[in-house]
Amino acid sequence: MDSEIILILVIGMALAFDFTNGFHDTANVVATSISTGAARPSVAIGFAAILNFVGAFISISVAATVAKDVVDAEIITPTIVFAGLIGAIAWNLITWYFGLPSSSSHALIGGVVGSAVAAVGFDAVITEGLVGKVLIPAVVAPILAFLVAGAAIGLSYRVVGKQRPGIVTRGYQYGQILSGGLLALAHGTNDAQKTMGIITLALIANGSLGADADPPFWVIASAATAIALGTYSGGWRIIKTTGTRIIKMDAAQGFSAQGAGATVILASTHFGFPLSTTHVINGGIMGSGAAKRLSAVRWGVAGNIFVAWLLTLPAAAAIGGLTYGFTRIFGTGALGPVLVTLMALSLVVAAFARRAQRGAPVTAAGG
Amino acid sequence: MIATIVHTDELLQTIAASVVAGIGVTFAFSVGIWGAGQFIELSRNERPVAATAALAMGGLALACVAASIVIGIIVMTSK
Repeated sequence: MDSEIILILVIGMALAFDFTNGFHDTANVVATSISTGAARPSVAIGFAAILNFVGAFISISVAATVAKDVVDAEIITPTIVFAGLIGAIAWNLITWYFGLPSSSSHALIGGVVGSAVAAVGFDAVITEGLVGKVLIPAVVAPILAFLVAGAAIGLSYRVVGKQRPGIVTRGYQYGQILSGGLLALAHGTNDAQKTMGIITLALIANGSLGADADPPFWVIASAATAIALGTYSGGWRIIKTTGTRIIKMDAAQGFSAQGAGATVILASTHFGFPLSTTHVINGGIMGSGAAKRLSAVRWGVAGNIFVAWLLTLPAAAAIGGLTYGFTRIFGTGALGPVLVTLMALSLVVAAFARRAQRGAPVTAAGG
Repeated sequence: MIATIVHTDELLQTIAASVVAGIGVTFAFSVGIWGAGQFIELSRNERPVAATAALAMGGLALACVAASIVIGIIVMTSK
């Protein structure tokens, strides 16, 4: 009975995490299309939500990495997964509260690794998978998006440089419907799969699935629905803050940035690399900006992303580990996770209420 | 040790696919826009053959964009 309660808490927490991931990342996915006038906010957000949903069904490679290649699924328990999720959600809330641009994907993996180490020791961590499939791609992917977007926009300016600006702008605005759609599809593909992977890991840990099992259809469908609903809900808030938060760029730059982000995320997803989609999209935006004018890039933002990237894995791991330790005070049953859930819900409500009182806009951690 | 941890093949394939698709699709789409722009310009100057050739080239480039997206999605879903 206790293990069923913990499993239900894990699934609920994972889907809530997925919802917030979509909520936070709406800005990354639609901002470029809106800022260049390629799409109306309502259209861009609705389109992104639908393609996030569709994208979640395209592949399960990333889910397999999260479920099987980061920690040893055979010695993990549902409580370890639960504590890891709490570590990720807590770090996301902390960074959201202070406006740090952190990655929810790295927080999720950091949280699970931290709680696994606290529970079982370093034997629970699959170093090869963690370094080879998470840490190295995490460094390579944003740099790759930066270089691809920079080269692509340089080439584009050479091709269309002598054409009338009107047709060029209109052409790339139409193109951004395509590139923005691909980016939303890529985002849904990579980010929704992390939730699928975590729920699958919990199901394996609970003995409900075999060690080599793929995510069941209901897991894929529920993760797809949660991220799509989050994207749609987050969008309405973004409409209000669009004017102040988006970097101004022309339609060709927007097309290059989105195209570079989408191709890097889709190619990485194909090989099962769980990326920070936020970092990749920002890499693409900075690359297309730097190719035109180096000073156009907000290097301070790049520095914040780098610092947040360095902090996220260890911080989420520490919170995940502490959460596991706290749950063990109450034994191995469901009491610890239930108490932690109640405390987490109270903190979330308090944080939102305090933030709303201060009237600050939603700035976010991202995927 | 490092060689076994780093998934070199998969990483290099990711880099190659991203470079080819990211730069290639943007380049092809730009050629499509160039073709449309040239078609309008040359039509105004009453050069129908050159205008049609530019339009055909632009159309071919846009067809390449569509084909590469379809191929990309097929590759993604077929694994």
